Amino acid sequence: MLTPVVDKKIFLLDAFALIYRAYFAFAKNPRVNSKGQNTSAAFGFTNAMIDIIQKEKPTHMAVVFDAPGGATNRMEDFAAYKANREEMPEDIRSMLEPIKEIIKAFHIPMLMLEGYEADDIIGTLAKMAEKEGFQTYMMTPDKDFGQLVSENIFIYKPGRGKDPASIMGVKEVCEKFEVNDPLQVIDVLGMWGDAVDNIPGIPGVGEKTAKKFIQQYGSMEELFKNTADLKGKMKENVENFQEQGLLSKMLATIIVDVPVPFDPIDLRLDEPDKEAVLKIFTELEFRNLAKRITGEEIIVTAAGNNVDGQLDLFGQQSLVVNQEPMTTAELKTIATENPSYHLVNTPEERSKLLDLLLQQTQVCFDTETTSLDALHADLVGIAFSWKEREGYYVAIPKEFVEAKKIVDFFEPFFSSKTIEKIAHNIKYDIQVLNRYQTKVSEPTFDTMIAHYLIQPESKQSMDFLAEYYLRYQPVSIEALIGKKGKNQGNMGDLKPEEIVDYACEDADITFQLKQIFEPEIQNLI
Amino acid sequence: MEMPLVEILRSMEFEGVAIDVEGLTNYSKELELTLVDLEKQIKSFVDFDFNVDSPKQLGDVLFDHLKISAKAKKTKTGQYATSEDILVKHEKDHEIIPMILDYRQLRKLKSTYVDPLPTLCDAVDGRIHTSYMQTVTATGRLSSNSPNLQNIPIRSARGKEIRKMFIPRNEDFKLLAADYSQIELRIIAALSDDKNMIEAFQKGYDIHAATAAKVFHVPLEEVSRDQRSSAKAVNFGIIYGQGAFGLAQNLGISRTIAKGIIDGYFEQYASIKTYMDKAVNDARENGYVETIMKRRRYLPDITSANAVVRGFAERNAINAPIQGSAADIIKLAMVAVHEAMKNTELKSKMILQVHDELVFDVHKDEIDELKALVKTAMEGAIKMVVPMEVEMEIGENWLDAH
Repeated sequence: MLTPVVDKKIFLLDAFALIYRAYFAFAKNPRVNSKGQNTSAAFGFTNAMIDIIQKEKPTHMAVVFDAPGGATNRMEDFAAYKANREEMPEDIRSMLEPIKEIIKAFHIPMLMLEGYEADDIIGTLAKMAEKEGFQTYMMTPDKDFGQLVSENIFIYKPGRGKDPASIMGVKEVCEKFEVNDPLQVIDVLGMWGDAVDNIPGIPGVGEKTAKKFIQQYGSMEELFKNTADLKGKMKENVENFQEQGLLSKMLATIIVDVPVPFDPIDLRLDEPDKEAVLKIFTELEFRNLAKRITGEEIIVTAAGNNVDGQLDLFGQQSLVVNQEPMTTAELKTIATENPSYHLVNTPEERSKLLDLLLQQTQVCFDTETTSLDALHADLVGIAFSWKEREGYYVAIPKEFVEAKKIVDFFEPFFSSKTIEKIAHNIKYDIQVLNRYQTKVSEPTFDTMIAHYLIQPESKQSMDFLAEYYLRYQPVSIEALIGKKGKNQGNMGDLKPEEIVDYACEDADITFQLKQIFEPEIQNLI
Repeated sequence: MEMPLVEILRSMEFEGVAIDVEGLTNYSKELELTLVDLEKQIKSFVDFDFNVDSPKQLGDVLFDHLKISAKAKKTKTGQYATSEDILVKHEKDHEIIPMILDYRQLRKLKSTYVDPLPTLCDAVDGRIHTSYMQTVTATGRLSSNSPNLQNIPIRSARGKEIRKMFIPRNEDFKLLAADYSQIELRIIAALSDDKNMIEAFQKGYDIHAATAAKVFHVPLEEVSRDQRSSAKAVNFGIIYGQGAFGLAQNLGISRTIAKGIIDGYFEQYASIKTYMDKAVNDARENGYVETIMKRRRYLPDITSANAVVRGFAERNAINAPIQGSAADIIKLAMVAVHEAMKNTELKSKMILQVHDELVFDVHKDEIDELKALVKTAMEGAIKMVVPMEVEMEIGENWLDAH
């Protein structure tokens, strides 16, 4: 959770900004359901919304839409405002209703007012919320919002691919725009202009110059008073385009007195209407999301609306087992994949696991330890995976004798001459297990060596290979124990529950990579 | 072959190697004395104090005060350039230069090896456990760190002292070093199927003398020392795709003469020229080259428009299969040796691998048995038309075992 825990925390979502973002993220490999609908926009938006609810736990929330006609004041004054915007793609338009249904099912108010952009409504609400003692987070990737930031109002920038989500407060905004006060952002933008929104700015003045001017003069008006300081073309432009500059400043200004009511009770975040959620998710075929929110499996009809018009003879409903989201332009993560990772902590669970292990022909394992020095590392746990998106993590106690007992228990697996044991840099794991007097028998497969033979000059780290071959971004170890360096924590200090996902994910991914590398190796020989 | 190696490397890492900590400490003190003395001598050339370790200050002293060169080169940051190659160029211009080179070399030796080695000893068994990495080099060779065995200097007298510090585990043991002689030349002979070179190896001739004999058209017995040196330089240069210019620089001869030698070389070993051209072509057609065990090296730069970059890739096209095949053979040898040792009751252990050699901690009663086992395993690791030759020596330390 990035945001602090407070009594009054409100998130204001810039709907269209997030919807467009979701749509483009899936552009290269869109998510299509069995009815042939492109559900990417809805899926991405919903995912982002649910993520926020679960991660940041706001107490209040609203989703804000732009009015269809746009902002009257801006359009009146400058007809070309946002004129360069292309028409809304069909795949977004078709998802608007479903998205609204979803928001409704989650009991989250949707706000929109004729004649105003979402920015203005968000700005107004943010200021009102501040007066009522709220911490407000404006969820948008749009930098214009910088002008609204204050001690109690922040921008929450959603994560993108590798970059995690981040929060911008007064300090960050001032740093980014090189100003002393967030309101000066408007001056900067007014001078610089914005090609996306078709705000002209002052010709010849780009980001750098705009920032420089504001540092020197504090505002656009002051700049205009001091054009004597300027020379040549710049002076010409600033003097000749004063009106355009002021107009641009106005266009960039977010209105904070829109006639909308601020009703804390209405905006409170309540439990979703599970049935309604299930219904819409079933329609869109968001299987994993459904499970995440309601804990229930949805049943999707594959027949009926088939593209080739085939009707199942009995009109049966069938469980669609393989509703994977296809590879997306943005990376998959543990959040998008929703795997089944289990913590194994009791003798019965260990017994069951061993039984399962011994039935397999190939299993990937990964040790979690207290040090990179294999000769001295203590085991913290071992993860096993033999099926995509499934993993088991055996927690191992600190005390050596107790630890050895558990390792010994799995000896039949490690010494098996029929099960292929897979790992990434298996030499390390074998060396660690050697300390517990457990030998690892052939057959073995090392994904790091395998990839080395396929591409000797590439990076061989598991995280890199996961991103490259599986388009998947693993949980980083830094998320668990902090950044590299003196102050980095130690695996041994974490509780097993904190490690389960990270460890199982390692084993899971490595198992998947093995399936890719093995045939490649055969090609080489 | 890589997977069986995993266990072998693991157990070598586990075994570790003993070092003479006392010896190292003494050597460190010795070096420090020499360094202090050198420093004094260096500073005596000017009448003010300066920091010899600071390249900036040194540059000023050399080029501003002592005016060693009129056209001094400068680095990106505006300092005088004082890197080794520059100093070597001016070696004869002033007596301070060889002193500085010496000083720097000793500094490096001390800080890279002599001082750190004792700190790498394991707290419990007092041995150094170097880590072997199987997936780092582009050629397929193993690399090691903590410490990096590959970089331990082997030519300088002072560098050799470092090797002396690697010792057997106790008085009942000695060190055995087994080294493949001229493995790369043998490989190129085999890969190119050059009858002349193959014959020289099969008959057990001194390959450099034999090469000299052919290139300079003299009988084998009458090859002079200089001729042999030249031939040796060409032999090794060829493996790395060296041309007339590089050879000329290496031997301190004119380019024309160097070119003459190289032409003569290819006249005698025509198939090698063919092999080299084929290697470059293969790289162009397939995008990669292969070793005898089919290890691949991708060379995308082979089609680069930039001549320098392309040239680099072309030299790699020639060298990678050779280096890579050498790596293959050593790895196969390690597996073979390990297998052979597994079936015995030997207390001796394989402990180090570096360049073309394997090092063993051998019990004094097992010396003959181990030597025979290792020789057979290494020479038989791969069947090539050119025989592999292994040189072995026993010693009280790694230096003596050479």
